[in-house]
Amino acid sequence: MRFPSRLLLANMVFALMLWAGFFVLVVAVTVGIAVFGTLNESVWEKAVQVTRWYALFVGVALVREFLPMYIAHGQTRRQFGAQAAVTVALFAPFLSALMAVGYLLETVLYNLAGRPQALGRAHLYAEPTQVPLVLIEYLVEFLAWIVAGALVGAGFYRWQGGGLLTIPIGVGLVVLAEGAIGTELRLPFLGSLPLRVDLPQSLALTLGTGLGTFLLGLLLVWAVIRDVPLRNRLS
Amino acid sequence: MFDDRSPIYRQIADHIKADVLREALKGDEQVMSTNQYAAFYRINPATAAKAFQQLVDEGVLFKKRGIGMFVSPDAREVLRSRHRESFFADVVDPMVAEAKAIGIPLSDVIGRIQELEGR
Amino acid sequence: MRIDVEDLVLRYGDVTALDRLTLSLEGGKIYGLLGRNGSGKTSLLSVLAAFRKESAGTVRIDGQPVFENAGLTRRVSLIRDVGETIDIGTVEDALYFAEWLRPNWDAEYARTLLDTFGLTPKAKVKSMSKGQRSAMGVLVGLAGRAPLTMFDESYLGMDPPSRYAFYDALLADYMAHPRTIILSTHLIEEVSSLFEEVVIIDHGRLVVHEETQTLLSRGTAVTGPAEQVDTFTHGLTVLGAKQLGPTKSAMLYGDLDDARRRKAVEAGLELGPIAMQDLFIHLTGEPK
Repeated sequence: MRFPSRLLLANMVFALMLWAGFFVLVVAVTVGIAVFGTLNESVWEKAVQVTRWYALFVGVALVREFLPMYIAHGQTRRQFGAQAAVTVALFAPFLSALMAVGYLLETVLYNLAGRPQALGRAHLYAEPTQVPLVLIEYLVEFLAWIVAGALVGAGFYRWQGGGLLTIPIGVGLVVLAEGAIGTELRLPFLGSLPLRVDLPQSLALTLGTGLGTFLLGLLLVWAVIRDVPLRNRLS
Repeated sequence: MFDDRSPIYRQIADHIKADVLREALKGDEQVMSTNQYAAFYRINPATAAKAFQQLVDEGVLFKKRGIGMFVSPDAREVLRSRHRESFFADVVDPMVAEAKAIGIPLSDVIGRIQELEGR
Repeated sequence: MRIDVEDLVLRYGDVTALDRLTLSLEGGKIYGLLGRNGSGKTSLLSVLAAFRKESAGTVRIDGQPVFENAGLTRRVSLIRDVGETIDIGTVEDALYFAEWLRPNWDAEYARTLLDTFGLTPKAKVKSMSKGQRSAMGVLVGLAGRAPLTMFDESYLGMDPPSRYAFYDALLADYMAHPRTIILSTHLIEEVSSLFEEVVIIDHGRLVVHEETQTLLSRGTAVTGPAEQVDTFTHGLTVLGAKQLGPTKSAMLYGDLDDARRRKAVEAGLELGPIAMQDLFIHLTGEPK
């Protein structure tokens, strides 16, 4: 198989630009809190929760934009599936590295200002500077969210409204991954009823569950796209 | 010729014949390629090739392998003699018919011809 | 590339788009695919390009099945107005992926075509006008140089100068890089001179597959006094007729031999050609 250099690079460059803008925004908010209030918690920790939705979008776009493009350029669904899987497997660690870098830059900033960079909720890591643990947590999370996005994207692309049925499966994948890293999933509109599975905490189990979720998700996506027709009309 | 049906390849052939008759194209001169004709008339090259084939069959053009199409040395003579043969059927007969239909006496027509010859 | 389609059926749920269609194209030519809305043109092209899997029947290109056949599909290109190959950010982005995914991509030619169609590399494809989007699709199809290149109504929204620029570019590139090209279109008069062969389908079935010039020679318009026209056309295939006072004009379909032609002229009837557009209209029936 050919290495999906351009698919990966395009996603990375776009993510990097978004991250840079996002980081500047978070710093601005942080400075605002420091000036007008009391800054004693990590702002980055709260802000990066949005990035999961970006990961979801990446998954949706893979199927909605790139799958038709690949096929129209004479690639097979199988070739696309393989390239997309490799892309996600490498893009998710890249994205989690960006999260870790964000934490480290924030640590430097807080140290300069002499503020405590306390965390507000449970994580795999106890301190934002535990880079390996930060990487693992976000890796597991992003893998699940991207693959859930791809599944729901594929569902809607193939069955239009019938794609709704793939949403619970996508949510299931995400809940599983969140359980693996010991956090709970709070969805908009459903904020009051936290969905969670409690898994005994061990690093091996976290990684295993994370990887398993990813592979299961890939399998489900493949089941949907393996003979999917290209739509004659969009919308 | 029983009708005025003129597929595009016949139009091209007629065009080349006209060029040969008025010596815009001379014997042994190379004519433009099929592709150039196709591009000029915005037609499929196979259609242009058909026009050329027709002209080869009629002895107006000949093909030099790998080089292209050339005007036959005696193309103009061939065309002139063939046109002479059909001149009365193609030109004179319809003229006479037309003259009769609109009521011009043939003597007037002959007079006009003699007048033109005198110039 | 040689195309062999046999008893091809394509269904969308209850709707049968292709109904046991059988067709062979020997390849290396420019083919015109004509048909009315809903006749199955897009469906046929989509199956040929492996965009869809056939419901039944066989589809072979160069003797091989098409669907999910990587070695084959990389040599096949279908450009539709849906814009699969171009709706990926900016013009540059679309070219970036086309260059990477298309084995015969000619980047220099693509840049020339950008100028031809007046497209800007930084422009976002989704916010371009319909005509510009179509031009962009046409560009991707031409520069891809796929041995089987198909355009499905790719002129949509393009203004006449752009359309003719497309026809000229297509013809020039076909002559420089001979390959199999299929054009589906409704603008028959504009493009039919480009076709070496014409395929007409209707209701998902083949109506005509013929060399363009042969098809044109099959159609004859007979004009003259109504009575004589009726006598002459008796027993022949009449596609349609119209009358103006005592004068009638009938459209005949089928070869007319010289004897018959002479008879027509002797009876004072005028014989004339029928335009491709008129043949098409009469071969595919009633208005909808």
